[in-house]
Amino acid sequence: MNNVVVKSKEVTLLEILDRVLDKGVVISGDMVISVADVDLIYLGLKVLLSSVETIEKLRGSPFTGPMQEAR
Amino acid sequence: MKLYLYGIIDFSNQITESVYGLEGAGVYNIPFCDIGAVVSEINQPIQDVTEGVVLEHEAVVEKLMADFTVLPVRFQTVIDGRDNLLSMMQCYYRDFEDNFERLLNKFEFGIKVIWSADKIKENIIKTLSKEQQKRLELGSSPSKKFMNEKFEKYKIDKEFEAKADKFIKVMDMFFNRFAAEKKIEKLKTENLLLDAVYLVEKDEESNFREAFELVKSARPNFKYLFSGPWPAYNFVVLSKKSGLLREPEQADLFDKVTQSQTLVGADII
Repeated sequence: MNNVVVKSKEVTLLEILDRVLDKGVVISGDMVISVADVDLIYLGLKVLLSSVETIEKLRGSPFTGPMQEAR
Repeated sequence: MKLYLYGIIDFSNQITESVYGLEGAGVYNIPFCDIGAVVSEINQPIQDVTEGVVLEHEAVVEKLMADFTVLPVRFQTVIDGRDNLLSMMQCYYRDFEDNFERLLNKFEFGIKVIWSADKIKENIIKTLSKEQQKRLELGSSPSKKFMNEKFEKYKIDKEFEAKADKFIKVMDMFFNRFAAEKKIEKLKTENLLLDAVYLVEKDEESNFREAFELVKSARPNFKYLFSGPWPAYNFVVLSKKSGLLREPEQADLFDKVTQSQTLVGADII
């Protein structure tokens, strides 16, 4: 049960990271001091090599149940 | 004063709910015409990016999503002062308005489907094996054998792709009925059969979820990930050039800004 919760959390986090770090409006121009350097942040968060698929392999059990209720 | 930008909303008044963002700073709305930029003040761009910081950003966007149409802004977008922020809003106003029109009352849902590539290939090989055996027997020389093996591999890969196309087409038929827009990626990796995002009207959410359940029950041997509702991260389209207004429109806009800001006054929550 604990494994499923941890996995669900990781998958949810991955979905959030994919969106917050890599999608959405990108404002360009001199007025912008900083925009996230996506690759560096992914590296920093050590999830660069993580993917839903690898999480799934590592954890073993299906993630459909908890994930659907996660948000 | 540096402003950390979370998103653009279709609302130009104060946000009534107390919302706290990065570094616990109060989040407020800076109006521009009939829309607003949701920001909090920040001393410097975040150096140490942690999961917590990313989640704080997302939490603000999600709170906004409950009440407004949100154009979520890329993490760690920091703008140098209010004047620069208003210039940015002026530049992108047209784009923002177009997006609000398209995305009104719609949410994004993510669907990932994983299949076992090894098993699928095993089955393909089984089906092709009789024919393959004949070919290998016919081609006795090493070069013929080599060519036959290459050809078999090509056939397996082709059949694998064809199967993926077939499954995705069927799944998409279910989802597409309730979606306004979609983005589909096939076989990002061999096991990740489908990585898709759908833009769905609020009223269609339950139908969309039902469609997902149907697909899931039809193919229980696949693994599924359903996430959402999200703000439309994947469906905001900026053309940049069209964001610049023509001169008469600009003058008109500045009038509106002045009026709007006078009306709103202090826009801090």
